[in-house]
Amino acid sequence: MVERRFIQRITGGVLALLVCSFSLFAQDEKELKPVTRTYAITNVNVVQAPGKKVDMATVLIKDGLITAVGKGVAIPADAIVIKADSMYVYAGFIDGLSRVGVTKPKEEVGRDRVKDPGNPAPERAGITPQNDVRGSLNASDKSIEDLRNIGFTVAQVVPYGNLLPGQGSIVLLSGKSADQMVLVSNSSLYSELSGANGVYPNTTMAVIAKWRELYRQASQAKSYQSLYASNRVGLERPGSDRVLEAFYPVIDQRIPVLFKSEKMLDAHRILTLKSDLGFSLIMADVKEGWPVANKIKASGAKVFLSLDLPEEAKKDDKKSGGKSDKKADSTKAKEVAKPKTAADLERDALEKRKSEAIANYTTQASVFNKAGVSFGFSSLSAKPKDIPANLRRMIAAGLSEDAALAALTTTPAQLLGLSDRMGTVENGKMANLVISDKSYFNEKAKVRYVFVDGVMYKLEVKEENLPAGQAGKSDPNAKVEIEGSWSTVTQTPQGSNDGKVTFKKDGSGYKGTVSGGRLPAPADLTSVTLEGNKLSYSYSLSFGGNSIKVDVEATVEGDSFKGNASIGLRGSFSIEGTKNPKN
Amino acid sequence: MKKLFVLLFSSFILLGAMAQVDKGNLLIKNGTVITITKGNLEQTDVLIKDGKIAQIGKNITAPAGIKIVDASGHFVMPGIIDAHSHIALDGINEGTNPITPEVNESDVINPFQIGIYRALGGGITTVHAMHGSANAIGGQCETIKLRYGTFDPEVLKMDGAPRTIKFALGENPTRSHGEGSGIVPRTRMGVEFVIRQAFTEAKEYSEKWNQYNKAKLVKGFRGAPPTYSYRHEVLSDILNDKIIVHCHSYRADEIYMMLKVCKDFGIKRIVFQHVNEGFKVAPELAAQGAMASVFSDWWAYKFEVYYSTAYNAAILAKNGVVTSINSDDGEMMRHLYHEAGKTQKYGGLSDEEALALITINPAKQLGIENRVGSLEVGKEADIAIFKNHPLSIYGVPMFTIVDGVVRFDREKDPDDMRLVVDPKQAIETATFRDKLSDQDHCMEGAEFILDSELFNANKK
Amino acid sequence: MGLLTAIVCIVVLRVEAQSPKGKYGNVALTNATIETITKGTIQNGTLLIVDGKIAAVGGNVSIPSGTETIDCKGQFIYPGMIDAGTNLGLNEISSVARTTDFNEIGEVIPQMKALTAVNPNASAIPVTRVSGVTTALSIPTGGMLSGTAALINLHGYTPDQMFAGFEGIVLNFPNTGRRGFFDRRTDEEIKKASDKALASLNDVWEKATQYQKLDSATKGKAGYYPELQALIPVMRGEQTLLVEVNASKDIQAALKWLKEKKVKKSILTGVAEGWRVADEIAKSGIPVITGGVLELPTRDYDRYDKAYANPGLLKKAGVKVAIKSESNNNNYRNLPYHAGFAVAYGMNKEDALKAITIIPAELLGVANKLGSIEVGKSATLFICNGDPFETKTQISHVFIEGWSMPMVSRQTELYNEFLKREPGVKK
Repeated sequence: MVERRFIQRITGGVLALLVCSFSLFAQDEKELKPVTRTYAITNVNVVQAPGKKVDMATVLIKDGLITAVGKGVAIPADAIVIKADSMYVYAGFIDGLSRVGVTKPKEEVGRDRVKDPGNPAPERAGITPQNDVRGSLNASDKSIEDLRNIGFTVAQVVPYGNLLPGQGSIVLLSGKSADQMVLVSNSSLYSELSGANGVYPNTTMAVIAKWRELYRQASQAKSYQSLYASNRVGLERPGSDRVLEAFYPVIDQRIPVLFKSEKMLDAHRILTLKSDLGFSLIMADVKEGWPVANKIKASGAKVFLSLDLPEEAKKDDKKSGGKSDKKADSTKAKEVAKPKTAADLERDALEKRKSEAIANYTTQASVFNKAGVSFGFSSLSAKPKDIPANLRRMIAAGLSEDAALAALTTTPAQLLGLSDRMGTVENGKMANLVISDKSYFNEKAKVRYVFVDGVMYKLEVKEENLPAGQAGKSDPNAKVEIEGSWSTVTQTPQGSNDGKVTFKKDGSGYKGTVSGGRLPAPADLTSVTLEGNKLSYSYSLSFGGNSIKVDVEATVEGDSFKGNASIGLRGSFSIEGTKNPKN
Repeated sequence: MKKLFVLLFSSFILLGAMAQVDKGNLLIKNGTVITITKGNLEQTDVLIKDGKIAQIGKNITAPAGIKIVDASGHFVMPGIIDAHSHIALDGINEGTNPITPEVNESDVINPFQIGIYRALGGGITTVHAMHGSANAIGGQCETIKLRYGTFDPEVLKMDGAPRTIKFALGENPTRSHGEGSGIVPRTRMGVEFVIRQAFTEAKEYSEKWNQYNKAKLVKGFRGAPPTYSYRHEVLSDILNDKIIVHCHSYRADEIYMMLKVCKDFGIKRIVFQHVNEGFKVAPELAAQGAMASVFSDWWAYKFEVYYSTAYNAAILAKNGVVTSINSDDGEMMRHLYHEAGKTQKYGGLSDEEALALITINPAKQLGIENRVGSLEVGKEADIAIFKNHPLSIYGVPMFTIVDGVVRFDREKDPDDMRLVVDPKQAIETATFRDKLSDQDHCMEGAEFILDSELFNANKK
Repeated sequence: MGLLTAIVCIVVLRVEAQSPKGKYGNVALTNATIETITKGTIQNGTLLIVDGKIAAVGGNVSIPSGTETIDCKGQFIYPGMIDAGTNLGLNEISSVARTTDFNEIGEVIPQMKALTAVNPNASAIPVTRVSGVTTALSIPTGGMLSGTAALINLHGYTPDQMFAGFEGIVLNFPNTGRRGFFDRRTDEEIKKASDKALASLNDVWEKATQYQKLDSATKGKAGYYPELQALIPVMRGEQTLLVEVNASKDIQAALKWLKEKKVKKSILTGVAEGWRVADEIAKSGIPVITGGVLELPTRDYDRYDKAYANPGLLKKAGVKVAIKSESNNNNYRNLPYHAGFAVAYGMNKEDALKAITIIPAELLGVANKLGSIEVGKSATLFICNGDPFETKTQISHVFIEGWSMPMVSRQTELYNEFLKREPGVKK
């Protein structure tokens, strides 16, 4: 409840600043506004393209473009020089399917009881192919920064929804407005094989049937419209239909259908649709594609593999006798010494099959590579912070670093028709670059700079930024229980503020809410993670059409936590929480 | 287990884009061969070449290198066919609309379900994977062969099998739509109406297209085509005898109603499913050439099956109705041979008559009797090999063979036969079927809609 | 004999066309193969029924003059089969709530008595008994302590006429399994629910313990507390607790709980995953009523035949095993097939036969009357033409407490009416 008020005050404070002195936002922008648009990155290892490296060279950027790459490049007087000694520069990464920056619609759709569930309005059925993702793109969304900070500079983004949510755009991960971000609008017609809640089409088979019908109706409507356009005499006026009209560029093969294809069977089903209807296809966020690699190859569909991977099997299982802690009982200690029981053997076999299953996911990229299918990556269901590690897992499972880099740069550029503009570090290309202090795929590498369209983003290398004394020791093996309701006190420039946050177990993780008094409803936490005694949670607030993400990071000790609440780039405040007794 | 996995893994990589079906060569030695159509043959061999039965006879010389299955003391019968099942499907009911012929189970085949392997363990080789019974006219179904091990849904399909579609009468459609959504039908009157309405509209639809196509031939024609409707296209296919109707039904009155609908719309091929009161209208079914696919002894789980009798199959068969025994259930399908055996207790059918109920008769109902359902030279080598007679309670399927490929080997198969494994969870939560809600499984999926709608209604 | 049966049938049909009655009297069953269960097989034997009891069994039995005789040449006599897992009499049509009486409201309702609601005219009763199942445990379900189950003979006009001498309290032990395809709870939610259920069971047990002590101290004047009063006989070891439990983890938990609570008389029922922890069950000495056998494995990775093999594996580990059929589906007539499948998949045939006759009789404390063919026991038995597990075996006579049952049910009546329907297509 009170937490809300606190946030309101903080954001209110931000708002007040906005109004009276052109605000923190404006100040941020002013700070970021460069003195010059010319940069020279010197003494850097340039990975121009996979397998093509120039050591200790200079990359020159001017007005958003790469103007020179090589040794002995003359540095213009107006250039900001970035001494990237022994760092690595790569072409900015390209994400084939993402919802970065896209605002999730409120969950009102799907709640109402429909009078005739067999014939719902198209919007209720999830059929809105005419929607343009630009309408729901928020340039100040924190997710853009998160993805950019790991090296991505361009992403194909799509609206939320199920069957036919709308049309995607290829955007730069930079810019102050949706329009500034957009590189290619209406780049694809996005679709998922998921049905509407409680109305037609509800099942996958009905979704597929509806897809077929819409496509055929659109083809029919389109040819009738062109017939009408060529000679109107004697013909009834064709009606207007936004849904069908949205298919026209697909039918003309001017844009592809971008299908989310996570599951193995999705891939088969989507390929069947493609072969029946003949549209050009991008399959994205493919997670279980290894058995269909050749089928995809034969179909000519373009592919983006998911950057999400299932969690690695725990390696210390053996030490603890393969037992999860949940089952810990008094006999455990005795059992370790005993010979394996049938139950132990069964569990071992099952664990083995599980790790074999995980291996399939990790080796997917390598399998595709060996099968000669060119692919990019998509981040749709991956958490940005996991992506570098997931890439390393794929590499450990047989994907070469060059192939991984190609899938992040040259191949997606080519699949999206952007090769003339990006994908390599070459003279004349857009200045989309990522600079890391070590080779990007090195476990210890940190991204230091990202350039998007010539705009520089400098990353602070994160230290443990909790002031000593305010935070307890972080211990990844600590066992703490956060479920329950907590009262929080946050120190802000306006004084201390009281708040409340509640955590609930949700599967293996947690979910939760912060509740507010003046705001209409409690806000859901968008993420909660607890690693050892390290707690972090986030939520979004919206005001003035902007969504502001609040990130709290804290260390839990018993029934209290201490840490920081940061509100985007606009400040970080210390926060303390105490667990409320159970009622 | 790992070996199996590696084998599968490499095989699908090699298979690549084509839905290539494995076909085996095999010699089954010295079994008692139950041909179904041509009597029993003692100590007889069956030679399979390229997935088909090449020869049946004594002392067949084994071609070089051929795999041999020793069936000495065993019974060799055609693979069992289940004319009513819901395995291998992702989604059973598009329960949102009483009329949904355009949806097709063919689009959502799931080759990974462990139920496929378990069915092989019961000697099943072919399954009619059906849409559910939430709708008066439900979705199209798919006849599949249990080629477990494939990762490609296309491989499960029995290529060339006739198209089939699910209809449903009585309590299920009235409960889903009338009770659940306040949409016609809520009664058996409504069920008849929506079916007749759909067919009549489909006739009008194809008439419009016929007119348009005809008019188009005239030079200088200008006009708009009728709007394409997938739903009416499929309904027209039913009226044009391109699809076999499989109609979920229980009570005699609704069966009789549907017979009249078929007569009125010229529908020739119809198989009544469940048809618990089929025995009451057996003469009418026989007269119209309609077939029946029944449970052996399920009854009393809902009102419309209260006046049932386990003698149903026997009465139907003795009245000349082509009858099969089906499972509609992942467990029961594992012992259809035993369910067929019950017709010997309830009605005294002969071994041959009883076994026909799960082999050649369901094959006829699916329009595949020329390919499977009996052991004859030239037919597809779908075979179940039993220890003890299949109609005996002690009958145990030992091998199940599909297209000449051994897909189940009781002695050799490992315990864990899953094709795909959840990468997130090793130990699975056990599932115990809730006997309180024992139903025919035709309503799976639709219950969610019903519940969620009710839930939403209550919330308002 | 065929002719005789035919004549008897015709007479029965003519005389008692719509509502055939049971027939009581002294009968001699001659020339039969008698499977006594407990005392071997008697070839060419005679079984004499006098006053509802087995008066004599053997190869050389003198038949009092005037006793009706049924020639059982080529036939077999078995004791009536006992299905210790049904809701017979409580369930007419499972999906029509108004026809079901096995599921009262409440989590803790041990005082709800099945015997009260048993409908002697339930349509499933004749359907079941003509298949040789003469005795059934009728069990309330739902909630945690669902009520008091009752053993009934499948003949009689009042519950008391049917009562076969056993009542037991039903406990659905907290369950960590899924209830079916529709159960979409997360593992966490399942665990939480079962932990909560166990806590509440322990609470009930603690209260019952206190109440029992109070009851003893006050000589039965502890006050009206029907839930706890119903539990007193269990606390005192006078009544059996029927513990329905299926997941292996839950079985282990139940064994531990029964030991901790010092429950003297208990039986585990269901026990679908018993094979996983068979040794532990055997070690506990607690007997099991397992089934249905015709079931799917409970986990995807389990071997396909585990449910069929379960009774045999339990027996092999040393567990005392009775077999029941599926609950709540009105097909209790299939009990011999559940036992038969257990045999096909590994159980010794003799053990399987005992598992549906003498073992359930012993477990339910009625072995002095039921479960085997022995002099002095109730004449509750059937005559058939072969192995009772075999599907095609026909049962010609069923006796329940000496009453000869009419071999008809609604299902046979429908057969007789419709095999050759008149009029046919044309009227």
